[in-house]
Amino acid sequence: MLLLQQIVNGLMLGSVYVTVAVAFTLTIGILNFLNFTIPTLFMLAGMVGWGLAYFGLPFGLSGPLPWPLALAIGIAAAILCSLVVERFTFRYLQTKYGDSTEHAIPLVSSLGFLLILENLVRIAYGGDAQRFPGPSGDLTAEFGGLFFRVPQLVSFFIVLALIVGLAWIMRATRIGRGLRAIAENPDAAAILGVETGRVVPMVFLLTGLLCGLAGALFAVNYGEVSPQMGEDIGSKAIAGMVVGGLGSLWGAVAGGIVVGLVEILTVHFFGADAVQVAVWGALLLTLLARPQGLFGHNAIGKGKL
Amino acid sequence: MLLDVKDLEVTYGRTRAVRGVSLSVAEGEIVTVLGSNGAGKTSLLRALQGARKPQGGKITFDGRDMTNASPATRLAAGMALVPEGRQIFVSMTVHENLLMGAYLRGEGGLDRDLDAIYERFPNLATRRDMKASVLSGGEQQMLAVGRALISRPRLMMLDEPSLGLSPLFVAKLFALIREINDGGLSILLVEQNTHMALDVAQRGVVLELGREMLSGSAAELAADPSLAEAYLGAA
Ligand SMILES: Nc1ncnc2c1ncn2[C@@H]1O[C@H](COP(=O)(O)OP(=O)(O)O)[C@@H](O)[C@H]1O
Ligand SMILES: [Mg+2]
Repeated sequence: MLLLQQIVNGLMLGSVYVTVAVAFTLTIGILNFLNFTIPTLFMLAGMVGWGLAYFGLPFGLSGPLPWPLALAIGIAAAILCSLVVERFTFRYLQTKYGDSTEHAIPLVSSLGFLLILENLVRIAYGGDAQRFPGPSGDLTAEFGGLFFRVPQLVSFFIVLALIVGLAWIMRATRIGRGLRAIAENPDAAAILGVETGRVVPMVFLLTGLLCGLAGALFAVNYGEVSPQMGEDIGSKAIAGMVVGGLGSLWGAVAGGIVVGLVEILTVHFFGADAVQVAVWGALLLTLLARPQGLFGHNAIGKGKL
Repeated sequence: MLLDVKDLEVTYGRTRAVRGVSLSVAEGEIVTVLGSNGAGKTSLLRALQGARKPQGGKITFDGRDMTNASPATRLAAGMALVPEGRQIFVSMTVHENLLMGAYLRGEGGLDRDLDAIYERFPNLATRRDMKASVLSGGEQQMLAVGRALISRPRLMMLDEPSLGLSPLFVAKLFALIREINDGGLSILLVEQNTHMALDVAQRGVVLELGREMLSGSAAELAADPSLAEAYLGAA
C-alpha cells in the first residue's frame, strides 16, 4: 500500500514535469528550437505570484493580493515574457539572418534570457526560497486507502485537460494545421499562405501558458518558490521529453510521468541523493534501447507534431 | 493581361538565375515555360509566388502590383503554385492536405469544393483519412493540384508536374490541366516535357541560363528548328 501511495505521489509530481516537457517538445517539434527560457517562465509564474501575494503590486499600488489572483497574474507574466522572447530573439534573428532555426543562435539567446531573468528576480526578491501561502486547512481525500491532496488532484486534472485541449488544437484547428505545416515543410506552408510571423507567436503563447500554469500549480502544491526553482524542473522535463521522444506530444506526457515515478520511487528506496543518478540513468538506458525515445519517430527534431 | 511580368531578375548571391525575363498570361490562357535543368524556371516561379524577392523587374497580377507582395497576399488574389516535387505534407492525411489549401479562404462553400475535388479524384476520396505518404507519385501530384484548386485560384502555376510520373499518369495530368483550363482557370506551366507542354499551351517561352531564348505561339515554337534541335531531339 505504501508503494502504491508512492506511485500516486509520483504521478502527481510527474504531471508538473509533463506540463513543462510538453512546452519543450512543442517548440522542438515545430521550430526545431530548444527553448531555454522555459524553466524561467515556470519560475516567473511562481515568483511573481509569491511577490504579489506577499508584497502586492510594485510601487505600493496595492497591498498583498489573494494568492489565486496573484498566481493568475504570475501566469500572465510568464505568457507575456514568452511573447517578448519570441519577438526579440527568435523572430528578430530569423528576419535578420534568415532561417536561424538551423543554428544555435536562438538557443544561446534563450539561455541568455534564462540567466538574465533569473538574476533579475534574485535582485528583486533575493535568492532565498520562500514559502508560498496556498490553500489552508486539511485538504486530504481518501480513496480506497490511498491519500490524495485535493489541490494536487485538481492540478492533475487541469494539466490533463490542458494537454487534451492542446492535442485537439494541433489536430483539429486551422492554427494547429498551420503549425504542423510549418513543422513539416515551412516552404510549402508559405506557398499556402501560412505566415510564420503570425503563427509562430502562438507556439510561444502556449509555451508561456503551459510553463506559467506548471509554476503556479507547483507553488500551490509544494508550498515553496525560489528564483532557482526552474532549474531542477527544467532539467527533469528535458529528460522526460527525451525519454518520450523529441517533438512528440504524448511522448512528453509519458516521459514526464516516467521521470516523476522514477524520482519518487528512487527517494523511497534509495534516498533523495540518488534521484539525479536514477533519472539520467533511466534516460541513458532508454536512449540505448530506443534512440528515438518511447514515442519518437526515426527522424530527430522537426516535423513530428 | 491577368499576369504581366516585366524584366524580372532573380539572383542567389552571385548566381543570376533569372535575367530580365518578361512574359504574360491572359485570362483563360495556358502559357508554358520551357528550358533544361538550371535554366531558372523554378526561380522564376519562386519570385512569382513571393518566396524569393526579385532583384529587379515588375510583377502585375490583375492590374495590381505584386512585385513585393507577400505569398499570402498573392494567394488571396488568386495566384496558386503547385511546387516542384509536389511538396505535400506527408505527416498529414489526404484530407488535411486539402484543408491546407483552404488555409486562407473561409469555410464558405468549402464542403462543396472539397466534394468536387473528391469527385474529380476518386483515388483521393478512398484514401481521405490516410496519411498522404501512402499515395503513389501520381496520386501525390493529383493531391498537390487538388490542394491548389481548393484555394480557388485564377492562375495556377505548375512547376514540372510531370516529373517522375509514369506515362499513364503524365497523360492523365495533361488531360487534367486541359480540363481545369476549360473551366476558366489560367495556367502557367513550367515543363521539360516539351512535346506535351506545347500540345496543351497556346504560347510559350524558352529559357536558357536565365535568359529568354525564344518566345511565341506554341505552334511557332514546336516548328522552331533550334528548339527541335535542343529539346525535341529525336523524339
Ligand atoms: N536556393 C538556391 N541557392 C543558390 N542557387 C540556386 C538556388 N536555387 C537555384 N539556384 C541556381 O539558380 C539557377 C537556376 O535554378 P532553377 O531556378 O532551379 O532552375 P530550373 O528550375 O530551371 O532547373 C541554377 O544555376 C541553380 O544552381
Ligand atoms: Mg526547377
